[in-house]
Amino acid sequence: MNIDQLRSELLERISTTDQPREVLKAEEIKQLYAVIPTLDPSERGPHGKAVNELKLALESAVAEREAALEDDAIMPLDVTAPWDVNTRAPHLLPTEQGTQHPLTRELENVIDIFTRMGFEAIESRQIDDDEHMFGSLNFPENHPARDGYDTFRTEEGFIPPAHTSTMQNRILKDGKAKLEAGGQIAAVSYGRVFRNEDVDATHEHTFYQCEGVFVSRDATLGNMLGTLRSFFEVYYGQKLKIKTQPAYFPFVEPGLEFAIEKPAALGGKPGEWLEMLGCGMIHPNVLKSAGIDPTVYRGFAWGGGIERLVMLKYGIEDLRHFESAKLQFLRKFA
Amino acid sequence: MIISVNWLKQLTDIDIPVSELATLIGARLVEIEEVIDLGFKYKDVVIAKVVTCEKLEGSDHLNVTKLDDGGKTPDIERDGAGLIQVVCGAPNVRAGILVAWLPPGSIVPETHGDAEPFVLGSRKLRGVMSNGMIASSRELGLTDEHDGILEIDKDLAPGESFAKAYELDDYLLDIENKSLTHRPDCFGVIGFAREVAAIQGKPFKTPDWLAGLTPDFGDRFGDVLTPQVAIDDPSLSARYQAVVLSESDGSVKSPLQMQTYLARVGVRPISAVVDVTNYLMLATGQPLHAFDYDKLVRVGGGKAEIHVRAGKDKEKLELLDGREIELDQGDIVIAAGETAIGLAGAMGGANTAIDDNTKNIIIESATFNLYNLRATQMRHGIFSEAITRFTKGQPADLTAPVLAEAVRLMANAGGKRVSDVAESYPAPVTPSTITISIEKINGVLGSTFTAEQVAQVLGNVEFETSVNGNLVSFTAPYWRADIHIDEDVIEEIGRLSGFDEITPTLPKRDFTAVRISHFDQIRADIRRSLVRAGANEVLTYSFVHGNDLLKAGQKPEDSYRITNSISPQLQYYRQTLTPSLLGAVHGNIKHGYDNFALFEVNKAHPRQHGMTDENVPAEADMLALVVASKKLDEGAPYYQAKKMLDYLGTSLGLDLMYVPFESESNYPAAAPFEYRRSAMVTDRKTDTSLGIVGEYKKSVVRGFKLPEYSAGFEIGSVPLLDAIQKLTSSYRPLSRYPSTERDVCFKVSQSIHYSQIVDSIEQALKVTDLESTILPVDIYQAEETDTKNITVRIRLTPHDRTLTSNEVSTVMTQVIAQVILVTDAVVV
Repeated sequence: MNIDQLRSELLERISTTDQPREVLKAEEIKQLYAVIPTLDPSERGPHGKAVNELKLALESAVAEREAALEDDAIMPLDVTAPWDVNTRAPHLLPTEQGTQHPLTRELENVIDIFTRMGFEAIESRQIDDDEHMFGSLNFPENHPARDGYDTFRTEEGFIPPAHTSTMQNRILKDGKAKLEAGGQIAAVSYGRVFRNEDVDATHEHTFYQCEGVFVSRDATLGNMLGTLRSFFEVYYGQKLKIKTQPAYFPFVEPGLEFAIEKPAALGGKPGEWLEMLGCGMIHPNVLKSAGIDPTVYRGFAWGGGIERLVMLKYGIEDLRHFESAKLQFLRKFA
Repeated sequence: MIISVNWLKQLTDIDIPVSELATLIGARLVEIEEVIDLGFKYKDVVIAKVVTCEKLEGSDHLNVTKLDDGGKTPDIERDGAGLIQVVCGAPNVRAGILVAWLPPGSIVPETHGDAEPFVLGSRKLRGVMSNGMIASSRELGLTDEHDGILEIDKDLAPGESFAKAYELDDYLLDIENKSLTHRPDCFGVIGFAREVAAIQGKPFKTPDWLAGLTPDFGDRFGDVLTPQVAIDDPSLSARYQAVVLSESDGSVKSPLQMQTYLARVGVRPISAVVDVTNYLMLATGQPLHAFDYDKLVRVGGGKAEIHVRAGKDKEKLELLDGREIELDQGDIVIAAGETAIGLAGAMGGANTAIDDNTKNIIIESATFNLYNLRATQMRHGIFSEAITRFTKGQPADLTAPVLAEAVRLMANAGGKRVSDVAESYPAPVTPSTITISIEKINGVLGSTFTAEQVAQVLGNVEFETSVNGNLVSFTAPYWRADIHIDEDVIEEIGRLSGFDEITPTLPKRDFTAVRISHFDQIRADIRRSLVRAGANEVLTYSFVHGNDLLKAGQKPEDSYRITNSISPQLQYYRQTLTPSLLGAVHGNIKHGYDNFALFEVNKAHPRQHGMTDENVPAEADMLALVVASKKLDEGAPYYQAKKMLDYLGTSLGLDLMYVPFESESNYPAAAPFEYRRSAMVTDRKTDTSLGIVGEYKKSVVRGFKLPEYSAGFEIGSVPLLDAIQKLTSSYRPLSRYPSTERDVCFKVSQSIHYSQIVDSIEQALKVTDLESTILPVDIYQAEETDTKNITVRIRLTPHDRTLTSNEVSTVMTQVIAQVILVTDAVVV
């Protein structure tokens, strides 16, 4: 039998059997190999090539046939039924096994305190443009302060935001009318932010922040310190000492780092400090880019990470656990 | 950046302990990462005099020396004259010189901080006792010099502390540079000292040579053609100055004291000429660069003509470090005539490098556009003390005083000025005055300063101030190019006086209540509900590997692609949450969890959603769940996922309906699901389409190594919110009359859907005034048959009477007739 004939016969067999892979073990194929030593050396090359081609054609036919068989084997379900035939009603999983993620739980907690203090809560975007991430926040192009953010970029030039301040311009624009009607802007934006860095126990490219904005006719830096201290006192349920450090962020002036004395709940002793967030009086250019007159209104803003709060609270040792989806980790937070 | 406390002390009084100083600097200037006790490293080094020095017999280079340490070292072997014997191999050791001696038991300063610091002892060398060692400059951790021992260049008594003599009893402050990005003046010790004075409430006086804008360059000693300087594009450089010095001798070393100051802040001493430029850079923040003048003239075709211009296309330059780079139009180039001789602010060119034959040098003092230099730094990978300073934006007025001081200091090394000072300064800066009311200052800060107090605070850092009633005027000194607007001044007042001195207060607000948004409330409800259902909430990355998209049956081109990711795991924005959840199943199974459900409430970014009004990609708020079991559970896993979704829907007040797919759907959310074993999910009460629930395609199961028993759902949280917001109460007052229940078993073809039976029953009951509930009891299919028996329980509740059995029978007959009509059922 010549190879072409054999090919069509085997392909026919493959297309009709439920065990197509078995065809690859056919005696006829073994024979094609077996005859090689008996051939004239000049014929061996062309023969070998033809056999290989046959083998490839058969394998691809087998894969196709297997996929078709698998597809045919799929039984449509009565998706409207409450359970499968001949079975009973499925149960939910044991309630004691269910857990909420510690980060979303803490975010809910933080947002709860801030809303009680009068701040609306708005979720931050996970993809944004340069103008919201940098431009409207007084970071001109090529500004050295942009380097610190290690931003990712998409092909189109969009940015996975590196801070929740990417919402600030929107919050200010939305609040402008209220402000000009004699009210105040008070909002927090929370959510996921991204930095293009290598991951280890203390670094993540993905983490959560909460940022706050307050604007009125008479906001002061003292108000900012008071607001932040009040938040942390409620959060930790005790009186706290605070201290600050000058810092440079283009979107605020003055700019500060804000620290609290480590609370007793965390085993803190006097003189131990925890740096919690960056803050400052909103830069006039930032108000201007939202159409708010900085000669009439002023405000303050702050932003800090959520992971740090959670890690301190539970003594979590490795930042990577949060996005690991490991049940070993998650089920500790029942 | 390293700041030496002793260097600060040369410039201003510091009368508080270093720990307090560090705290104060932290609170009012900049974060200090570490305070290093430099004195500890040198505490044992003793100045000793070599009294005798004789060849060691049998050695070609070793000498036996007797040292006088002033008798200060305890517990050490001494000869009759009280001298200490040390064997030394340095070629320059000789009687009469003063040396730095490391006694036995001391650590070689160079090895301080090493894993195994080298501790000296007393041991025999070729049978001769040697106590400790005489140190070279390298062993002292000062320079790379190791050809001989360090010779003390001060007139000191033997036994004195080396650390004290050279002010190495110092503390070093390791400064976090990032917070000083906007403060070029603080990148010089003088500027830093000014701040240190002011935060202690003391006035600072800048040295005269640095304060004046038109310094005296001293006498001219020769007659070399003064270079012509031209800034071809004023946006690249605000000011460029150059001067030629002669007869500088590259072999002349700086005084040891200056060398130790350079070394302790991380700059290697090289020669007197180079050390002067580095010393001035460290002192003022203004980098200087030196070219070989005669080479420059040669390269420039016989003329000393310097141009500051942009790099040209394809232009090449060999740098001092031997690298040849191709210049970019964003690079700033120093050129002699047409030829590039330096990458401005970054590195000189090889063609004008100073070498042993150099006779005349050109010193350049200039400022360059910091944005260009930042790009240059990244493009060519040049990170130096100089470019770090240039990229902070040094003020143009700083170039002259620093250049004049360089000329003066170089004279000590033999360099004399032989040309006029060449300069290009297209647009000199004029200082501006800012006037602010004290009310505004206190208003922003929440402070209670008087006008005189704030004038004093900024007067301490050499602002010119004047008070006129409630108005205070401030004129910043030339080195404060960062002061432009009221807020810049107010920040300085708050900072220098201490923000921590301001009393925290709460803003006034009205009593309008604020609540979390409906959306946040719903998402919190979703979490609670699914947790009660035994599921575990996860958070997974917003980005996925391209392979994960393919494995899930999604097209990478439907994702926004990240172009600069450090990891292939973060190549694409995810289109839906399901692939991320599926990726988490296998690992948990491997860890021994054999029955679990994972869910995530998060955003996804399918391209299909297009752009928002702001022209940024629309985001998709999603909820996805996967349930997996390693032990094959009863029946199809679809029903387990559906059960959990039903529970969620019910707990949110919805009544979910499941509609079979006719064919494969194109949506990314549907891609991982096997359409023949999946359903579209809709809320019946509000007719809102929510998403998909089902089992996964076989290829998806294989790709993600899922157990056979896996299913899940993915639904939009915004439609869910819409449905919930549209809900109206369906409460009906309780009936006072008894209910009646009837079980009916319908035998139907296996292609008939359960919902067809229920819908038919409801259809039939619609014409009655009875309240009804229909519950499944049993679904049975005998082996080898194509029919199934569906048993339902129908509960009828009247609201205005008690039902008679006749009435019930009539209703049931109608119900059964309707089911038979629609499904061809046989009642069993």
